[in-house]
Amino acid sequence: MADLTREDILQLARLAKLELTDEEIKKFQNELGDILGYVEKLSEVDVKGLKPTTQVTGLVNVMRNDEIKPYQADQQALLKNLPDRQGNNIKVRRVL
Amino acid sequence: MVTKEVRDQYKVTIGIECHVQLKTNTKLFAAVGNDARDAEPNTLISHICLGMPGALPVLNEQAVALASKAAFALNSVPSPFSTFDRKHYFYPDLPLGYQITQFYQPVVLGGSVDIFVDGKPKTVNITRAHLEADAGKSSHPAGADYSLVDLNRAGTPLLEIVSEPDINSPAEARAYAHELYLLMKYADVSDADLFHGNMRFDVNVSVSKTDELGTRTETKNLNSFRSVEKAAEFEVNRQIELLEKGQSITQETRGWDDAKQKTFSQRGKEQAHDYRYMPEPDIPPVQLDSDYISRIKDSMPVMPGEWRTKLSGLGLDVSQTDILLDAEVADSTVDYLEILEKNLTDKAFAKQLANWFVNIEIPFRADENNTVSLSNEGRATVYAQTAALVGDSKLSSSNAKLLITELLTHETLPESIEKYADEQGFIQVSDTGEIEKVVIDVITANPQAAEDVRNGEMKAIGFLVGQVMKASLGKANPGLAQELLRKHLQ
Repeated sequence: MADLTREDILQLARLAKLELTDEEIKKFQNELGDILGYVEKLSEVDVKGLKPTTQVTGLVNVMRNDEIKPYQADQQALLKNLPDRQGNNIKVRRVL
Repeated sequence: MVTKEVRDQYKVTIGIECHVQLKTNTKLFAAVGNDARDAEPNTLISHICLGMPGALPVLNEQAVALASKAAFALNSVPSPFSTFDRKHYFYPDLPLGYQITQFYQPVVLGGSVDIFVDGKPKTVNITRAHLEADAGKSSHPAGADYSLVDLNRAGTPLLEIVSEPDINSPAEARAYAHELYLLMKYADVSDADLFHGNMRFDVNVSVSKTDELGTRTETKNLNSFRSVEKAAEFEVNRQIELLEKGQSITQETRGWDDAKQKTFSQRGKEQAHDYRYMPEPDIPPVQLDSDYISRIKDSMPVMPGEWRTKLSGLGLDVSQTDILLDAEVADSTVDYLEILEKNLTDKAFAKQLANWFVNIEIPFRADENNTVSLSNEGRATVYAQTAALVGDSKLSSSNAKLLITELLTHETLPESIEKYADEQGFIQVSDTGEIEKVVIDVITANPQAAEDVRNGEMKAIGFLVGQVMKASLGKANPGLAQELLRKHLQ
């Protein structure tokens, strides 16, 4: 697979909310191109008549009752992880 | 402004996506409470809602059951096999970095909703309905350089119902939104409390002079039937105005400003999302066998369409039936339809009952100064006996209304409703002798009017009937009074 274009990488970086240096862009053009090329090999496999695989575990219907249950980490423990908060609210950079 | 003439040249095409909050105790993938209405911010959270590394979401079986009921409500069947997918985007109210939804194989495929607009029936087809987890709520304090995020709502189970672009006017859009509300409410899959955002509508609108569809805009997050209609109306006019000026429509997401009654641009096409859907590896597929599906089918209550069929013999108009259907679910403790159903064999009474519900009890309850204390059983008795009194000409229709509203406020009924009505002065006098006395008095007191009637000026008789009613303190049977007046003035 040919290298990705600079625009491809910038688009991916934007979707992943990453800022890349020019050097990194060049590096990823090359590396991601290689990865895609490798994955593309899969398209050589004949999958005619096969259903798409969404899972490999073979499990179905793994569900729970609709009941409130305490988890090990309680709310206060979880909130301790927040980088910033105001009262009980999570404080983030302004988004609107 | 777009004139009707210009407007009529355009075909309007509308499709609606509706997010319905399912009535579960817990979230879609976490055993955490779901009722965020009065909860302090971030009190209904777990490591799953926060997207902590290693957290394993587990599907709530009740959400699947409710989605399955919704399938039948939408004139469809639950899909025997459905899967979950990840939809990726970054926003502070989505800690996982993706929403768990059903993209490739949703729980409901196909379906339809029947609506009435201007009394005419129409079918809007349903493309699909899928389960997904809601995001959190972000707020943006005025003037601050930060936003605040509350994740209580993150992970709440939603059913997103996607319609085909079968809707052709803002009025149809409103009717569709309202019918979805009734369907969800009757199927009991959602509280469908619009005020609390339990149903949110995204309206896709395009206009075109040809059969080819025009460029569409999507107005998001409408939370009332009225705003669905108004936003669609605004977009239709805005788009036609642009096209008439030779400009083009930008495909974009728009918001609705309820204060200004306007839509506004939110997100241009250049930011259109690339969601990079992929199968959700943490949630195994859902497989529903035919036993499960028929159990769900058997559990379905009587739906609005069936009620309409049941009531169709009464000759009510569409809006009266809609008022009854709305009232039935507005307060689940008050029965209207069930009382009607028990009396459907007596058509005349059932129709009278429906009219009394629509014209007396429902508006009476809507006035917050009034308190209705009477049980459903008591109400049924009041209506039956009031109808009997009216049938025997003992009660005028205006006094019937007074009697009904009076009794609705009682907790227990008087031993005899007729006796009570008499004590209240509601019973009309149909005793010929008694009324005749009043009639003679009235004729004597109003010689000019009496003379006019004798001379064939029948307008005057209305005046004399009024005088008889007045003199009898409203108790005289007006039909009888008129008959007696005629007899004496021949």
